[in-house]
Amino acid sequence: MILRLIAQRLALAAVTLLVVSALIYLFTSVLPGDIAERVLGRESSAEQREIFREHLNLDDPVWKRYGVWIADVARGDLGRSLVNDETVTATIGMAAKNTLFLSVFAFLLYVPVTLILATLAALSKGKVPDSLISVATLIGLSLPEFVLGTLLIYVFAVQLSVAPALSIVNPGDDLATRLHATVLPAVTLMVAMAVYAIRMLRDNLIDVLDSEYVRMATLKGAPRRRVVVRHALPNAVGPALNITALNLTYLIGGIVVVETVFSYPGLGQVLVEAISVRDVPVVEATALLAAAVYIIANLVADVLALLLNPRLRTP
Amino acid sequence: MSVTAVDLPVAVRRSRLRRFLRRFPMSARLAALLLIADVLIALTCPLWAPYDPYEAGTGLPFSGASSSHLFGTDILGRDVFSRVVYGTRYVLFLALTSTFIATVIGGVIGLASGLAGGWIDETLMRGFEAIISIPLLVLALLAITAAGPQASGSAVLLIGVVVLVYTPRIARMARSVAVDLVTRDFVIVARARGEPVRSIVWRELTPNAAGVLLVEFGVRAGYAPILISSLGFLGFGVRPPSPEWGLMISENRAGLFTAPLTVLAPCAALALLVISLNLVTDGIARALGRSVERTP
Repeated sequence: MILRLIAQRLALAAVTLLVVSALIYLFTSVLPGDIAERVLGRESSAEQREIFREHLNLDDPVWKRYGVWIADVARGDLGRSLVNDETVTATIGMAAKNTLFLSVFAFLLYVPVTLILATLAALSKGKVPDSLISVATLIGLSLPEFVLGTLLIYVFAVQLSVAPALSIVNPGDDLATRLHATVLPAVTLMVAMAVYAIRMLRDNLIDVLDSEYVRMATLKGAPRRRVVVRHALPNAVGPALNITALNLTYLIGGIVVVETVFSYPGLGQVLVEAISVRDVPVVEATALLAAAVYIIANLVADVLALLLNPRLRTP
Repeated sequence: MSVTAVDLPVAVRRSRLRRFLRRFPMSARLAALLLIADVLIALTCPLWAPYDPYEAGTGLPFSGASSSHLFGTDILGRDVFSRVVYGTRYVLFLALTSTFIATVIGGVIGLASGLAGGWIDETLMRGFEAIISIPLLVLALLAITAAGPQASGSAVLLIGVVVLVYTPRIARMARSVAVDLVTRDFVIVARARGEPVRSIVWRELTPNAAGVLLVEFGVRAGYAPILISSLGFLGFGVRPPSPEWGLMISENRAGLFTAPLTVLAPCAALALLVISLNLVTDGIARALGRSVERTP
């Protein structure tokens, strides 16, 4: 039963990914005007453009080009950048590592901050800490990432000069240097993710704390701390898993803005640059990667929820 | 037969409105005042803004705050106060128009899809699901790329992008409401009576889904200024001389050290607008007895 459900989710995720890849390809292929002229410039000769079109098989119908592209992608070949003729894999490889580093850093900050603040708010429901956290999260979710990032730069880089305004990293940097360089963007991303999760986890926790098994545990004389940590939290975290999956996707969108604010050499920067010079293969690869992360994160959250739900465990 | 708002006598509707207002929390009332102020600023700013927002050289570049330039001047010597004030027009107009269009289109598609059921519903929702799995901002950037350089920067394109990004999300929400409603007696009766689909959607589903859609509109309208100004900040929003807040923040970042107000003022304007939109939405939701679900 559970295996069948998991297989079903897997198949669904694969189909969604395929549809998404087609959508992305369609988006980047319906570009009005002559792509050859746009890449090579107005001064290019008709001959040059012809070679370029031939090189990219631009005279084939869209569905045929999509077929070739998706078959290549499935084999791990993302094509070549139109700008520097390097493979897309090489272009986005280093950037992907940087983005992964920043995401993991932000995520490691996000988990404890969310757990602590949500528990604090739920335990002081209706009192001062709860209201303060509620106001703070509302303000947090009303601030765009670039505003939040700019404010952090203003306070910590301009006024206090304790952190760098630009996140410049070099391949040979050690961990401490990297952490120092990326602390402001990581905090920006952490705040942007945590505000949603704190609100949700707080509401869940309040419901769970009111449930019979928690009251039962309290009546049996379990200490308050144990009741919260062992009985209430695990049951409240389940529904919050979904929002964490959503947050991971958000990370990909938010990271585009945050990397631009701090000039951090990651995937977001690569995407923004590729769009401004219309480097189609790089745009396609980055967008596909972003969607794949979303779909996989959701799949993992779904499967985890299936595995954690005791009612589904027995056939 | 459904009881729609249209059928109710005026007195009942008036007392409903009074009850709604009584339940409207204080924070939301203050936020509503701020929103009204924003609308008034947008409408009347040409009458009282001290400078033309496009006029360069009204003072020394990044000269800082003074009595003649409340928020200082930017790198071209334009008056930042006038630009912030004029910026209200762009953000309010673009955000509200696009969210409204998306709510209407998404609402109708979602309700009709939930009512239709079967393979139509299945196909539509799978398609929307696929669009939703492209992160919001990445999808917006893809759409801007697809539109080509001629269209980039135009208000129509930005509205179109927000509509494209929002419609599947709103449709999914409306559809989940419709799926719940179609099992109710009044819809079953309407169907048995042979009412056409258009009439069921309009007369039976819409009045009952109105509350959810209103809250959804508020949540999306609260995010639209963020999306639009983020695009402006990245350089894919409205074209450069325009006084749009996201664009201004990006342009004035060089002056963060010497004239911080040129950056902080548009930041504050944007944050205040979004906070008031969110508080009003929370207030409406509470007065209607609904919950607000905000997902990233």
